[in-house]
Amino acid sequence: MAVNTIHREPPEQSAYRGVRRVDHSPQIFNNQPARYYLMWLLLPAVLLLAAISLYPFVWLIYMSLHEVQLAPGKSDLWAGVDNFTRLFSDKSFARGWVTLFKYSALCLSVEISLGVLVAVILNNSRLEKLFITIFLMPMMMAPVVAGFLYMFLYNGTFGWYFWLLRSLGVLDGGTILGNKSWAMAGIVATDVWQWTPLIALITLAGLKRVPQEQLEANMVDGAGPLRNFFSVALPNLYPFLLIAILLRFMDNFRFIDTILIMTGGGPANATKILPTYLFDVSFKFFELGRGAAIAFTLLLLTILLGLILTKIFEDPTRKIKTDGMD
Amino acid sequence: MFHVPKNALYKTISRRKFLELGGGAAVALGAGSLGVGLGSVISKHPVHAASSMDAKWRQYEGSKLVFMSENTPPSFAIRDNIKSFYDLTGIEVEILTDGLPTVQQKVGIDLRSGQADYQLNYVQDKPIGSPFADFYADLNEFSVDDTLPLDPQGYGDNVWFENFLDACGVYYERGPIRAFPYDCAVSCTFYRQDLFEKLTKDFEADYGYRMEFTDDTTYKNMVDFAAFFKMMHERDSSIPYGYGQHHGSFGWTTQLDIQRHMYAQNQWLDFAVDDTLGSKNPGPANWGDAQSVKSMAGYKALADVSHPDNLTNGTLELNTVYAAGGVAMQIQYHEFAASVEDAEQSVAAGGKTAYAMGPKGEQSWNVATSNVVNATNCGIGGIGINAGASTDLQRAAFIFASWACSHETQLMVLQGVGGTPTRRSVLDLPEVKAARNRPTSMPNALTFEAVYDKGIRSPNMVLGPKLPKANEYHEIVRVGTQQCISGELSAQEACESIGDELNAMHGV
Repeated sequence: MAVNTIHREPPEQSAYRGVRRVDHSPQIFNNQPARYYLMWLLLPAVLLLAAISLYPFVWLIYMSLHEVQLAPGKSDLWAGVDNFTRLFSDKSFARGWVTLFKYSALCLSVEISLGVLVAVILNNSRLEKLFITIFLMPMMMAPVVAGFLYMFLYNGTFGWYFWLLRSLGVLDGGTILGNKSWAMAGIVATDVWQWTPLIALITLAGLKRVPQEQLEANMVDGAGPLRNFFSVALPNLYPFLLIAILLRFMDNFRFIDTILIMTGGGPANATKILPTYLFDVSFKFFELGRGAAIAFTLLLLTILLGLILTKIFEDPTRKIKTDGMD
Repeated sequence: MFHVPKNALYKTISRRKFLELGGGAAVALGAGSLGVGLGSVISKHPVHAASSMDAKWRQYEGSKLVFMSENTPPSFAIRDNIKSFYDLTGIEVEILTDGLPTVQQKVGIDLRSGQADYQLNYVQDKPIGSPFADFYADLNEFSVDDTLPLDPQGYGDNVWFENFLDACGVYYERGPIRAFPYDCAVSCTFYRQDLFEKLTKDFEADYGYRMEFTDDTTYKNMVDFAAFFKMMHERDSSIPYGYGQHHGSFGWTTQLDIQRHMYAQNQWLDFAVDDTLGSKNPGPANWGDAQSVKSMAGYKALADVSHPDNLTNGTLELNTVYAAGGVAMQIQYHEFAASVEDAEQSVAAGGKTAYAMGPKGEQSWNVATSNVVNATNCGIGGIGINAGASTDLQRAAFIFASWACSHETQLMVLQGVGGTPTRRSVLDLPEVKAARNRPTSMPNALTFEAVYDKGIRSPNMVLGPKLPKANEYHEIVRVGTQQCISGELSAQEACESIGDELNAMHGV
């Protein structure tokens, strides 16, 4: 297509001799005859995107600035920023954020550690394909089904995990989902069980791209496997880990199916992460204006945290790319 | 685009043909979506007041309605017997059922959208009726329309059990009736009589009185019973825990559970409002006053000796625990007697379970007076008609609502999967009177003495507040109560927290 043009620079000026570079610069339009019909071709896709994402976004902002009326025939009332200012005094809102960060941090740290470990163990092993297929199975399950599965496994009357933990003496009195600390651990464990395979899969793909010559050179210099992993493999994995972390981080901010099924946010709000509270406000209390305000703050913070995460991983990524080109 | 061998047997599809096929598929999908979306159909055969009853029943022959209901026995029974309604009227009714929290959300979205995809709704009094009352048609207009096949018993307050019509049909003002009582779930105590008899001597040795359940058994006695069973369970795991509470993820179940406990002491109410009407401006909450704190402390004492899964068991889960032999007592809704008495799914069946009113309040837990009652509460599930539907759809829906709440249909449901009648006349039938004693073919009837003869009578019955923000109110009470039970807050802190949040919700 016209937007991707292949340049060949003079050999003496090119740092990437023999490498075909794809230039994405919009300046290429200046060198091309105007082909406005392309805009018309793009129009249906743009309109479709606008309909499915832009319109709801505008509607979200509208609702967040109104007191959305439920009674038939009543018009929505202008609320200004009231729905937002009210959030400052909403204890459940603040608590929802704290719980969300706690939940997300726990899930991410355990999943990344385990996922990378599983990938390293599986990488180039004899039964790699078989094991990865088996490990991927939880990921294929709908989160609702995973929620029901673990709810039954944790059940205090017939749950197998409950029986196991009780038999081992780990769980003294109470049950897994009936205890505030255990309930959080229970939903984190469910998330870890379901989504660690995704991290492992992405990391495994990354491990395949680690330059063999770098590993060998490091070994020649006397590095052991551990040193090799931290000095060579891990830096090469940064771009892949960034993708994995971003995906899981955003998923934790969006997926509430499992929590709704297992605890509904309880006991005593111990597992009520902000998106669960948002669901309650919007579809249980039908406070659509307040719900929109919460959703808007959630969206903004997700974008902001996404940018921060990208920034954190950006420098090593660039360094690796440059190193690889030299 | 792709390599095609010269001797390929298939033919390529031209661009024109491809577009034609794509267009055709899009039209077919669009038409199919519309067909699915517009589930209802109306077909009208005009009648007059003087027309025959048969003509009035069949005036909407060929129509189709959708009824969104909770997955309760009456809806299952009616769905199983829907052919009799179709034969009578020629109207096809699709009955969709789901758990109450999901029904609440689906119905809320449908009502809010104005599309009226569900012309008939299960109007559970507090979670659905209270927030959405204005979206339902006034049934008074239909119940005096002599071009409709009206029920010979009528629809007045006197044909239903006391307070039932008010509970599910009247919201915030006298006049409009938003729903007819379709089914009811009234609380009563289910207890393992066999275990009580077996263990009473051991209990008496420890506590100095017999372990019996009577109308005068108090919540303090329940704490003793539960503590004794818990102690026995720790010695011998084949003996169940004593008691279980309702604290599932659905806020209403917890609110109902603690409501009974609070009302038993001094007939305490959350707000100073008439519960038969409810209020859009209920004023300051009573949570945080001395009586609420003392009652909450009693509730916490009971929770401390109850089943360890207390904070996760909702109503259905608690009944499963009871049926599995996990607890010896539960305060449960009488519709669950059918499952408890089913020997295939319950170890408590076959005469092991006895039924009684809810426990009485404990006088020593009262702050001012000695007024204590056997608090009983309920969920009255009404059937309402979406006011957003067309007039003819509403009339056709009324024909179904009237039939579904009729004496004959309620008897059919009771004889089938275990209904919960709302019409007084059903209980007067000789076969229903006989079914109150074992052996019985209508297991729910075993609870009728505790429920209809005693529990729902004044002063025991508490309806609970109807508020436009009922679901948020339930959630606030649930969280505060669970914070107390889990030890996060003291009884006083929990009550004050609930009061503060309710007042903030109402802008008081």
